[in-house]
Amino acid sequence: MMHWMLISPELYYLTAAFWLLVACMTGPPKPKRDYFTALSLSAVGVIISLASVTLQGILFSQTYRIDLFAQVFKVMLASGLFLVVCICTELNGIRERYQRELYLLLFVCTLAMMMLVSSVHLLNIYISLELSSYSLYILVALRKQRDMGLEAGIKYFLIGIFASALMLFGIAMLYGATRVSHIEDLIQVLPGLVDNPAVIIGLLLTLSGFFFKLAVFPFHLWAPDVYQGASNQVTAYIATASKVAAIAILLRLIALTGDGSVYLVHVMVVLSIISMTIGNLAALVEQDLKRLLAHSTIAHAGYVLIGILSMNDAGYSGAVFYALSLLVMKFAAFLVVVQVAGDGRNLRIEQLAGLHRRSPVLALTLMISAFSLAGIPPTIGFTGKFLVFAAAMQRGYFTLVLIAMINVVISLYYYLLVIRAAYLLEPREEPADVRISPALKSLSIAMTCLMVVGGIFPHYLIELARAAVRGLM
Amino acid sequence: MQMEFAGFPYLSAILLSCLAGLLLILFIPREKQLQIKWVSAIFSGITLLLAIYLFFAYDKSRGGLQFVEKLEWIPYLGIQYLNAADGFNLPNLLLTGIVFFTGVLTMWEMRERVKEFFALYFLLVIGVYGLFMTMDLFFIFVWYDVSLIPMYLLIAVWGTTRKEYAAMKLTLYLLAGSALILPAVLYLVVNSGFNTFDIVALMRPGTFTPSQQKFAFILLYLGFGILAGVWPFHTWSPVGHVAAPHAVSMVHAGVLMKIGAFGVLRVAIFLCPQGWQHWAELMALLAAVGIIYGVLAGLRQTDLKYVIGYSSVSHMGIVGLGLSTLTVDGLNGAVLQMFAHGVMTALFFSSVGYIYDRTHTKAIAELGGLSRIMPVASSYFIVAALASMGVPGLANFWAELLVLISAFRVYPVRGLLAIIALVFSALFMLRVVQQTFYGPNNEKYATLQDVTFGLGMPRMILVAILVLFGLYPSLMLDMIETASIPFINGLP
Repeated sequence: MMHWMLISPELYYLTAAFWLLVACMTGPPKPKRDYFTALSLSAVGVIISLASVTLQGILFSQTYRIDLFAQVFKVMLASGLFLVVCICTELNGIRERYQRELYLLLFVCTLAMMMLVSSVHLLNIYISLELSSYSLYILVALRKQRDMGLEAGIKYFLIGIFASALMLFGIAMLYGATRVSHIEDLIQVLPGLVDNPAVIIGLLLTLSGFFFKLAVFPFHLWAPDVYQGASNQVTAYIATASKVAAIAILLRLIALTGDGSVYLVHVMVVLSIISMTIGNLAALVEQDLKRLLAHSTIAHAGYVLIGILSMNDAGYSGAVFYALSLLVMKFAAFLVVVQVAGDGRNLRIEQLAGLHRRSPVLALTLMISAFSLAGIPPTIGFTGKFLVFAAAMQRGYFTLVLIAMINVVISLYYYLLVIRAAYLLEPREEPADVRISPALKSLSIAMTCLMVVGGIFPHYLIELARAAVRGLM
Repeated sequence: MQMEFAGFPYLSAILLSCLAGLLLILFIPREKQLQIKWVSAIFSGITLLLAIYLFFAYDKSRGGLQFVEKLEWIPYLGIQYLNAADGFNLPNLLLTGIVFFTGVLTMWEMRERVKEFFALYFLLVIGVYGLFMTMDLFFIFVWYDVSLIPMYLLIAVWGTTRKEYAAMKLTLYLLAGSALILPAVLYLVVNSGFNTFDIVALMRPGTFTPSQQKFAFILLYLGFGILAGVWPFHTWSPVGHVAAPHAVSMVHAGVLMKIGAFGVLRVAIFLCPQGWQHWAELMALLAAVGIIYGVLAGLRQTDLKYVIGYSSVSHMGIVGLGLSTLTVDGLNGAVLQMFAHGVMTALFFSSVGYIYDRTHTKAIAELGGLSRIMPVASSYFIVAALASMGVPGLANFWAELLVLISAFRVYPVRGLLAIIALVFSALFMLRVVQQTFYGPNNEKYATLQDVTFGLGMPRMILVAILVLFGLYPSLMLDMIETASIPFINGLP
């Protein structure tokens, strides 16, 4: 019996998904009621994953591991789902017929990602990754503007299966070189074999599946199109929860290599630099806010990689902290996008004009999240960057940190353009005030406070992140 | 270095009163503009009083760090909330208090989005105060950037000439500075072998090898130098000064540029003294070029605020020159110049602010003959101009004298060029004064009111301070010496 308690969050999300599946088959959607059902289901999910945060154990013939690292990420994923469901009050961007399926797929995807962060067997990882990816492919295609959604869905799918194929190939090579596929066993063998070319290539190809999820160069091409094509809520989910899961599993795999091989580090340094540079440069000319955020995601993937490739305690905990900060600040930005684009369409930057009068709260949230994304203190985004940069410096990667800081300067330019639109531009014709319910208003204020307080008093979060990675090493 | 824990945390009290003022402003309804201004004046006044108290309560005979406040912030990384006062930062804290308070008074007539303006203005000053009082590298970086966020909005929303361009340029330049500072700071901390960001712990001799010091120093010098307006990274500063609203120009030219110079002193010079000795020649060269360039560029300006902007570049060059001499006199002069130039520039922008609010122009050619229409308002500007020329009796005289004498000894050619440039600066200031205030009357402005006693208050305070420290420079120099003499004597 105790056995099953260990995976109570997963079991819960499985049950919830079944329930939603049954609901999908019984009649047309009732937006209001469905929303509250999904909201309460996801809220309970957060509570359950919080309650199970201290559980420890290993299940299913050593392929599934419950430790603090996995549980912390499960809490983040559950919170991510809850937050995204919160902003689903008006699903104008989704075809009416499929509004219930949206919730179903979100729950399934969260379940898959929870499985992903606990998996310690390569096949297990692959299956969870695919389950979450397939849910996302469909979610993207649910867009009301059918052409956009389908186009984005197909692009996402094609690049996704390509990355999956590479990943399978990599897993096969790893297995061929080491004869093991349990991560536990890999930990034993890998550090000795890490200079073997087959192992390096196998590992890199395996990682490419996660690079795809995280939108790291050269698997970043889907991001702008998918962000633009998917409905605003789905984009918010991809930008937050899905990134968090990708960071988690990357950490788990990289931590395997012990001190790491020089080749692996070099490859990752190059990927990191290219990701942040092209992400930031491409964002400079972007007019669509969601595409801009997509490019900024690519850049952030580069920053996270800095923490991961440092391969020390500080770098890993920095990356965990970074995942958390990404969740908070990306969500805050999308909260504003969803509310301002009430009709469910995409949002161009100039449509933010006059936001400080139309909704001061949203304008403030947008400003703080933009500063946080840019990494300006005292926000949580700065602390995340500081931690990964400090970790990289401990390994002596001075140039990498310098390049990353130059990138921060470049990125501030386009974040300032967003802030400028919200605070300085005057709209040509006065658009209607942004309607925002009291609940969402408080959520928006809460996110703002979280970004600032998390930046000023990061001590406990850092300690949590350090405790979480202790099991990895 | 002596350490002690003071009783009442005066330094934090300064930050907290800023914060309290900020929160209070946020809770006042936006229509009650007068109330907002009074709250701003009272809370900025409190910080000024605290700064004055600290200035006089500092025990000069004992020297060293006093009023130390220490709190573990992020123990894992060795980051502490560590505030302290010494002879280098007390003048700057006092300066911040003066400019902050008089800035609020200067904006007394403002009408547009008052609440947001003062809230952001307080936030800006929190960053400035924080940077001057902290002894922790992490917090130096944080405070540096805290003052950056409100700056963009203050200039872009309330500014005037080419405001969006100026705001964007300024913000990106300053962040580019921090892009050099953060890697350098991390580099030093990691290479020190201690897990701490505490400047006092890191400045122990022998912590860093000479080559590490040379490497880190140049990064820190360039990073903070951008903010200090070091030539050739000064281009953001005149543009920014011109575009910013008056009080922000005052803080900006008066205090923010000092942050840069102070950062060079506190971080670069304190931590990397051998790097300092290595790069001093270059510092002197850039400073001398800055002095000459500022004067020459100022000669050609037609906008009153641009003139002040370029004179700031030139005067900040004097600070840089003082810092590059490696002598006690040079350091004393540099710190005194930070203070004196801050007060003087604040007076400049404050008086231009009054004139601009009436005439709505800053073009020198259009103003002509103002001294007959508003003699009092004009006289404030003229006092500032005299200070800028280095006329004896005002604080700037002593600062420039000290710097130039020591610079002339150490770098004769550069020192001589700087002196010649300052003669030209007198020429260009006199030209501006003559054209603006003694030219033919402009009929358009014949009916304008002169400044009243109440509105003239901030300028009177600033003039009084310039005169006070002009007549008693030892009041300030004794203070600075408590820090500069032990520091220079402790050099390897």
